[in-house]
Amino acid sequence: MFRSFLKQINLQRRVIGALMIREIYNRFGREGLGFAWLIVEPLMFAIPVLLVWSFIRAKYEHGLLMISLAVTGYLPVLLFRHVCGTMIMFIRSNATVMYHRQVTLFDIFLARALLEIFANIMALISTITFFLILGDMRLPANLPMFYLGYFFTIWWSVSMALLVGALTERSKIVEKIWPVYSYTYMIFSGFFFLADWLPPKIRNVALYQPSLQAYEMIRAGMFGNAIKTYGDPAYTSFVLAILTILGLWAMREARKYVIIE
Amino acid sequence: MHRVLSDVSFELARGEKIAVLGRNGAGKSTLVRLLGGVELPTSGTIERTMSLSWPVGLGGAVLPQLTGNDNIRFVARIYGKPIREIRDFVEDFAQLGHFLSEPVKTYSSGMTARLNFALSLAVDFDCYLIDEILAVGDQRFQRRSHEELFEKRSDRSMILISHISEILRDYCSRALVLYRGRGKVFDNIDLALEIYNSF
Repeated sequence: MFRSFLKQINLQRRVIGALMIREIYNRFGREGLGFAWLIVEPLMFAIPVLLVWSFIRAKYEHGLLMISLAVTGYLPVLLFRHVCGTMIMFIRSNATVMYHRQVTLFDIFLARALLEIFANIMALISTITFFLILGDMRLPANLPMFYLGYFFTIWWSVSMALLVGALTERSKIVEKIWPVYSYTYMIFSGFFFLADWLPPKIRNVALYQPSLQAYEMIRAGMFGNAIKTYGDPAYTSFVLAILTILGLWAMREARKYVIIE
Repeated sequence: MHRVLSDVSFELARGEKIAVLGRNGAGKSTLVRLLGGVELPTSGTIERTMSLSWPVGLGGAVLPQLTGNDNIRFVARIYGKPIREIRDFVEDFAQLGHFLSEPVKTYSSGMTARLNFALSLAVDFDCYLIDEILAVGDQRFQRRSHEELFEKRSDRSMILISHISEILRDYCSRALVLYRGRGKVFDNIDLALEIYNSF
């Protein structure tokens, strides 16, 4: 029993590894930078934007280091958009791999998501290092809290990606709406603001969003006691668990209806 | 909703070879996708107790964006085989030479089919799902395919889809005849071919 379980785990590990390698070749080819693109790509999104801000915006916003606020805002947005974006109609585009029966839809999903998460964390570390050296930023005051917040960002992105992957397979409308949502997401997700800055009425509504919850924890980790935050790990876990179950269910349903040439 | 296949039922014993006959649009491709596991049946079950190959055909399981060599590595990894073993076999069998380092999407359909076939033989399944591959390649390749599939692996099960009646007659004892989405198994291959030819 335990033996076969270990064997299964080992197989799954091998399959996901092979899928990740395939994904890297697919996306970046084998010439030039290759694998390094994985890390360079999100950096190319993050560094220029943040650097420009560091020139045109005040060094402090609401008494907080602007770059610390921007880095802890922008990288989670990138993670969310990339993890979800890469799952748009991913079942269809991966049909051929599923002819290998030990490859499940879940493996393909996980391989892609893990790549994006890995790339994003590398970009996060590089960006923070970059601005630490420039002196525009400080290290997080409360690292465990920072990790917890980032963990929730990852969970939130992955559970939404399950839904995006499943729903774009079923409906053209979702596919069209998604870019709009992912763009406006920047405004309401909590990228630019702390819950504390909102009027109490709006704050109470805004805090229903798992993204803002995660942001609150990330910011609590970054700035420590200098700010008042509203992150609630219990609520966030609860909502994300439901969202994940919904996503897994939707994915299983979508699998039945995808037509593969 | 349009029903493509219904009431199709058959069992395949170890070592047995069954032919699948059907005109275009009879549901052969759907059957292949169901057996191959990329599509799920709306109702009913497919029980696999042998290791069943992917559909060995023109397209099939090779990944077009990857090179031949990367496909070899990919297959070796997910089936847990030594890369070297798979590569040696594929190099020898598919005769693709330097094309192995080119992306598969640049291959001709015959070359892709050869790679696909070679990979499936290298992995070594209990049961092969052969989808119109027996007419691929030149005479020499066909002879090799025949040797690898029907002589060296004569103990394996096979589900054979082919337009070449002689092969089906030589190797299959039974046939599943598909007609307008319905399927019937005949224990006499000659009778099955006769009925198929009368459609």
